[in-house]
Amino acid sequence: MKKFRLLGIVTALTGAMLLTGCGGSNSQASQQSVSGFNVNRAINVISREDGSGTRGAFIELLGIEIDGVDHTSSEADIANGTSVVITSVSGNIYAIGYISLGSLNNTVSAVSIEGVPASPETVQDGSYPIFRSFNLAIGNLNAVAQDFLDFVLSAEGQAIVVAGGYISVDATAPAFAGGGASGNVVITGSTSVAPVMERIAEAYMTVNPSANVEVHSSGSGAGITAARDGTADIGMSSRALHAHELEVVDSITVAHDGLAIIVNNNNPLENLSVEEIRQVFMGNIHNWSDLLN
Amino acid sequence: MSDKTLINVREAVMEKFFLFCASTSILALLLICIFLFANGIPAIQEVGVRAFLLGTEWAPLRQYPATPQFGILPMIVGSIYFMIGAIIIGVPVGIFTAIFFAYMCPDKLYFFLKPVVNLLAGIPSVVYGFFGIVVIVPIVRVLAIQFTGHLPGGASGMSILSASILLGIMILPTIIAISESAIRAVPKNYYEGALALGASHTRSVFFVIVPAAKSGILASVILGIGRAIGETMAVVMVAGNHARMPIHALRGARSLTANIVMEMGYASGLHRETLIASAVVLFVFILLINLTFTFIARKSGM
Amino acid sequence: MSRTKISDTILASLTWIFAGFTIFVLMFIILYILVNGVPHLTPTLFEIRYTTDNVSMFPSIVSTIVMVFLTLTFAVPLGIFTGIYLVEYVKRGSKVVMVIRTAANLLAGIPSIVYGLFGLLFFVVFLGMSFSLLAGSLTLSIMILPLVIRTTEEALQSVPDGYREGAFALGAGKLRAVFRIVLPSAMPGIFAGVILAIGRIIGESAALIFTAGTIAQLPESLSNSVRTLTVHMWVLSGEALHTNEAYATGVVLLLVVFFINTVSAFLAKKIAKG
Repeated sequence: MKKFRLLGIVTALTGAMLLTGCGGSNSQASQQSVSGFNVNRAINVISREDGSGTRGAFIELLGIEIDGVDHTSSEADIANGTSVVITSVSGNIYAIGYISLGSLNNTVSAVSIEGVPASPETVQDGSYPIFRSFNLAIGNLNAVAQDFLDFVLSAEGQAIVVAGGYISVDATAPAFAGGGASGNVVITGSTSVAPVMERIAEAYMTVNPSANVEVHSSGSGAGITAARDGTADIGMSSRALHAHELEVVDSITVAHDGLAIIVNNNNPLENLSVEEIRQVFMGNIHNWSDLLN
Repeated sequence: MSDKTLINVREAVMEKFFLFCASTSILALLLICIFLFANGIPAIQEVGVRAFLLGTEWAPLRQYPATPQFGILPMIVGSIYFMIGAIIIGVPVGIFTAIFFAYMCPDKLYFFLKPVVNLLAGIPSVVYGFFGIVVIVPIVRVLAIQFTGHLPGGASGMSILSASILLGIMILPTIIAISESAIRAVPKNYYEGALALGASHTRSVFFVIVPAAKSGILASVILGIGRAIGETMAVVMVAGNHARMPIHALRGARSLTANIVMEMGYASGLHRETLIASAVVLFVFILLINLTFTFIARKSGM
Repeated sequence: MSRTKISDTILASLTWIFAGFTIFVLMFIILYILVNGVPHLTPTLFEIRYTTDNVSMFPSIVSTIVMVFLTLTFAVPLGIFTGIYLVEYVKRGSKVVMVIRTAANLLAGIPSIVYGLFGLLFFVVFLGMSFSLLAGSLTLSIMILPLVIRTTEEALQSVPDGYREGAFALGAGKLRAVFRIVLPSAMPGIFAGVILAIGRIIGESAALIFTAGTIAQLPESLSNSVRTLTVHMWVLSGEALHTNEAYATGVVLLLVVFFINTVSAFLAKKIAKG
């Protein structure tokens, strides 16, 4: 009996190691082995949480928000961040979702829209239809915060934007001419905007060592609220601000970012029309067979 | 003062000191209660108790001309389902494993496994969440595709089942550690006495030792459930978070905690207050569970 | 087979199956993190200063360790003294014990996000600490207090009365009996609670995001915003750009927990002996 038990334990451990080995070699996104894409399966819609700027921009741009009501399908899985969307889509061949174009990587595939592939260039020249702006919500800015804002909009700041895979708001922005203001700047908000804002902040602090810029990521809605309440100097938002928000804060666009519609790498879908995307995310188109004929 | 008086004074002072320490937990609880209730109750009043607790629609961001909806029933039911699921999976496995560690595990193995279990207690929810997404969800997805893969909404695997499995696993270290402590704390002579009366090893353990460790095991279960109900990050990543009434175990749901963590960052005004109010509901819920367990414990004579 | 033997076999088998399942799952999780994280453990991840390029976790490691020590300093003495009061000084089963125990259980059941909420509005805003190490650790102290109290209680209760009576018989006062005889015997049990508490602290993310902020810098003072390892991992994985580094952070997290566990075990053994 004792040997039997020991054998059981050894088997369990070996099994664990083997499985991990398999899981590991598939990389952190467990890509489903393609046993075949069954077009009679239903579409798995993945959306973001309500306060996500990405979601807000998406439903506005595609007309999924009608008369103030968000008609995203009630069966859509809610993912709490871009990475969760990507991990989910890369692991499920029947899933579809939307993410910031700057976050696109090769574990998922971006669908062309009405024949136009998703890339910073097509967003820039206007042929790719879905994109939104990264906006900074500001109240009354102190000297150092204003100086930082100038840096964001300068040639140096915009160069960092482009390097990150986003689109500059002004290709002819002048070189930064400020600097010298000292103090703290607190920036909080969109998790989509934070990465590029952090890099800009670092570059700014190199140019102006007497300033200290803190970038917190908490979500677009939180950023706008913080700017409004004065808890932060600048709020980051990955969507346009609403009318009632603009009554209390100003909004400055600092970059553009495309919205990529992503599917699994093993999904044969390559192209969609805007109307099809709309109907899919509203839950009116159910099966892959409706999209792939 | 004589030595004896000095000692008495010191004893009295220390007793008061310990009492003071003990009351800090009450103080902390009061503070949190005041904060929650002061912000939450007005919100419930404004929305209406029925609309809040029994409303099946949660849509706080509706803009004019539509009106925002604040019904949290879908989340209440979701939380209940997750809790039940976690109990079903985590409690039996945890208790049996604790018994194994205390009475049936070879010493060498124990020496290796105990640190491993302690290690697992430290793994953050985010890591469990990722583990859930890449391992548990795909397995459940295969299952779900068989049954519901052709129905609208598809079968992503993000479901009550996935969340239950993940939560069950997450509470294992808590239940195992404390149950094992309790089981080991039962004096060895109980066990020896049972053996002497002719019971087998298994019988002695299960019918003499374990009942004697009841209160500790129950404490571990309560703490484990506490962890399960309070879990936010991991659940958010695997449960689908659909803000509608749960349908069945292979579909997703949203818990009260997931609701709070997803929306708190940007909620303001009435929206924020309703989220705090839902925390109040959670609070009351937990209170009811604790009272039920204490009642059961009292009844079975602990 | 007799009925007894059948039920025996069933129970024994169930135990092995469940324990096997537990072991399997726990090993799998650990190996999974290691396999996915170790290949990405590069030296740049440990540079002293954090930049968005190196996404160094070094400030987070320091912050985590400091956060753990600070929180334990607040919560463990408080929790142990509370446990001592409840077990040694109050008649077992009295109302006071019930009230405090209920309070502790309720505190244990409050979700971490609510603590984060409370911490934000009380420590950060009302007491004006803003996002800081202090606000974060005070919030976490309240969070782990019930755990420490409960396990101290269990541990103290499991010390046989004979020990206490023996001490009294030898002329020791209550205080001395508790601190020299009862407490050391209860140390392993208390240590179990501390381990779980450390686990809880390190694993905490939601509460810290709202109280300690997310700035990755070395904690130079109590009022600095800090980012612990878990929050670091959450931020890294939040925008799909640094998933590999997130797994590497996970590996480091495991090592930190292992290290802290080992140290605590060593300490507890020393106290129990001395």
